[in-house]
Amino acid sequence: MEQRLASTSRMTVNERKFVETALASDLRVDGRRPFDYRRLTIKFGRSVPVYGFTASATEDGSSEVQLGQTHVIGFVTSQLVQPYRDRPNEGTLSIFTEFSPMADPSFEAGRPGESAIELGRVVDRGLRESKAVDMESLCVVAGKSVWSIRVDLHILDNGGNLIDAANIAALAALLTFRRPECSLGGENGQDIIVHDPEVMEPLTLIIHHLPIAVTFAFFSEGNIMVIDPTHKEEVVMGGRMTATVNSNGDVCAVQKAGGEGVTPNMIMQCLRIASVKAADITSKIKNAVETYNTERTLRKVKRHSSTVTHQVSVPDVITKDKQAENIIRHQEEMIHHEPDRISNCDDEMTVDTRTCIKTEGNSRDSCTDPFVGGPSNWDPYLNKLSSNLVGKSQDLLGPLTIGKEQQEESKSNKMAVENSPEYATISSNSETLGVSGPRQQTDVAKSLKDAVKSKARKKSKASATTR
Amino acid sequence: KRHRPLRRSSICFASLLCSYAINPQETLTSEMNAETSDAPPTSLVDRTVVPGDTVLDLTAMANQTIKLGAGLRQDCDTISVMKAGKLRLSKPNKYWVESSHKRYVPCVEDTVLGIVVDCKPDNFLVDIKAPTLAFLPVLAFEGGTRRNIPKFEIGTLLYVRVVKANNSMNPELSCMDETGKAAEFGQLKDGYMFETSTGLSRMLLSSPTCPVLEALGKKLSYEIAVGLNGRVWANASSPSTVILVSNAIMNSESLSGLQQKIMVEKLMQRLQ
Repeated sequence: MEQRLASTSRMTVNERKFVETALASDLRVDGRRPFDYRRLTIKFGRSVPVYGFTASATEDGSSEVQLGQTHVIGFVTSQLVQPYRDRPNEGTLSIFTEFSPMADPSFEAGRPGESAIELGRVVDRGLRESKAVDMESLCVVAGKSVWSIRVDLHILDNGGNLIDAANIAALAALLTFRRPECSLGGENGQDIIVHDPEVMEPLTLIIHHLPIAVTFAFFSEGNIMVIDPTHKEEVVMGGRMTATVNSNGDVCAVQKAGGEGVTPNMIMQCLRIASVKAADITSKIKNAVETYNTERTLRKVKRHSSTVTHQVSVPDVITKDKQAENIIRHQEEMIHHEPDRISNCDDEMTVDTRTCIKTEGNSRDSCTDPFVGGPSNWDPYLNKLSSNLVGKSQDLLGPLTIGKEQQEESKSNKMAVENSPEYATISSNSETLGVSGPRQQTDVAKSLKDAVKSKARKKSKASATTR
Repeated sequence: KRHRPLRRSSICFASLLCSYAINPQETLTSEMNAETSDAPPTSLVDRTVVPGDTVLDLTAMANQTIKLGAGLRQDCDTISVMKAGKLRLSKPNKYWVESSHKRYVPCVEDTVLGIVVDCKPDNFLVDIKAPTLAFLPVLAFEGGTRRNIPKFEIGTLLYVRVVKANNSMNPELSCMDETGKAAEFGQLKDGYMFETSTGLSRMLLSSPTCPVLEALGKKLSYEIAVGLNGRVWANASSPSTVILVSNAIMNSESLSGLQQKIMVEKLMQRLQ
């Protein structure tokens, strides 16, 4: 009994009184104003390089959110299951929460306590009742097989306001989650084939809007209200209310579990404030997700190594559609890299993409050294990618990746494409880019080589072998 | 070789007498040891050390008394480190390792801030961030008798002194100093308490005055009570001053003296 007494966190009467007196003069203990949120940081999963030839086991669908001192991790996984009887053509979404004992002395391992269940319920209601995640697109075979999306929320550190942080973590994870592409096949056309992410690009979930939970804490008989309470304020507060709204101004859910009574005027004011805050947080989440997606696409785009030589502008040699696609895509890259490319292309028509993006002077001779590309100010992926380009490159990635395994013995050096500083918040391993880089690009090279005239091919082969 | 067995309590330094006859063979080995061992002891002082580092080579110091404090231990010929932290030397011969933790290990004669958890007939149970609760005898107050037992409600903040600290028993506290006077011990009223690490508490209590406290004191008037268990209590006339003081102190742990001054100035500018 004494051990337990010794390990719980305590509040002194001094602190209680002080928090209330400070709030009476609109001051919060950490220096914030009553309607200020703490600093929000959203990070995404790191991609783990699998040594060898597969690109990487990407952690799509995992997010790490820090709201001040509160730390939450969200993780999304999917599975094919049988649908519910009354909804045969809809997928399912389930939220699981885990309050790790390292987050707070009062959390215990094992069965989730009351607050854990409440948190899961609030996040779940915000997503499900407002139909934020499109369920019908998760159906594969109506009545037989649908995708079941499972969101796991782990609380790592309780600094107050777990509901908001967990909600943001769930949304960020859902926005970056990709489920495998599947199609019907087999003998009778009824079997479901789930395609490997390497073979076919996995798909994002369709999310219509982002329901953001905003928590209010009430003090001194409901007269004083603050947003985003810290742990100390939560111990002292008289009541709490969570309003889940989206940036369109729709109220998705409201949760008030016990505590002091609050006047209707106060509640309306809370909802108004919540919609303002929701717009702000939505834009933050969207920016973070966009940066992550951009960086992910950047990782997928394979750069050419210097050992590969092929014709640059050979529009008339196109015979097969596949090569045409490759060349078109290649030319799109050319267009963007043109300023430098023109200066670098010499008579041999050697395309060295890496010289286009590096800013230091790595000479051609050092092509066997590992490539380190500095941030380039005209790199197309630094600015917003046009969705066209992204879509095309993603479509083309499909057929391109098939020939990957044949390139194992290729001459490639490791290229490490350095992330630009903007992606600093996106945790990704730059080595993975290197591993995946050269192979894809040599694959492209091979298919372009086929299109090239035999004379040039012999010359390029010779120069390739010398390098 | 004659070594007295090491008996250590965290505040009292143990004395170690090294006097032994050195025979030629040992001289050779000791020389080799001196060469292969780490840098001479004085260069590790005030540097970060990790468990396993050899701090002193006793063969090189004959007939000297060395006092060892927390975190150091004697391994036959050498003194090696047991705890990660900074090695400190107090001339002429006291060595110890200082580290900063969030948890507190009670030692005798420490002044700490405790929170009353429960009241028993003859003890108050007080939480001082130690592994177990501490006992504060009901009579351990100046002029305390059975008639005038103070009434502390649960959650009262007290400034107390540790009287007994064994790792097998609950620590015992007192609200008097050795002579029996109150000496500022007792209940702390109003103000605001926050928790930091033990290293920050020691920095706040060091002399000369810690830069952050000096910088705050130039413009503001406030009072603080620092407990060696990582708890700090601050009070001032207005809540904004208290908030400013508490945030400044909490931010100052990893900053150098000059950085602390700059941080305090920035905070004060923001307020005005």
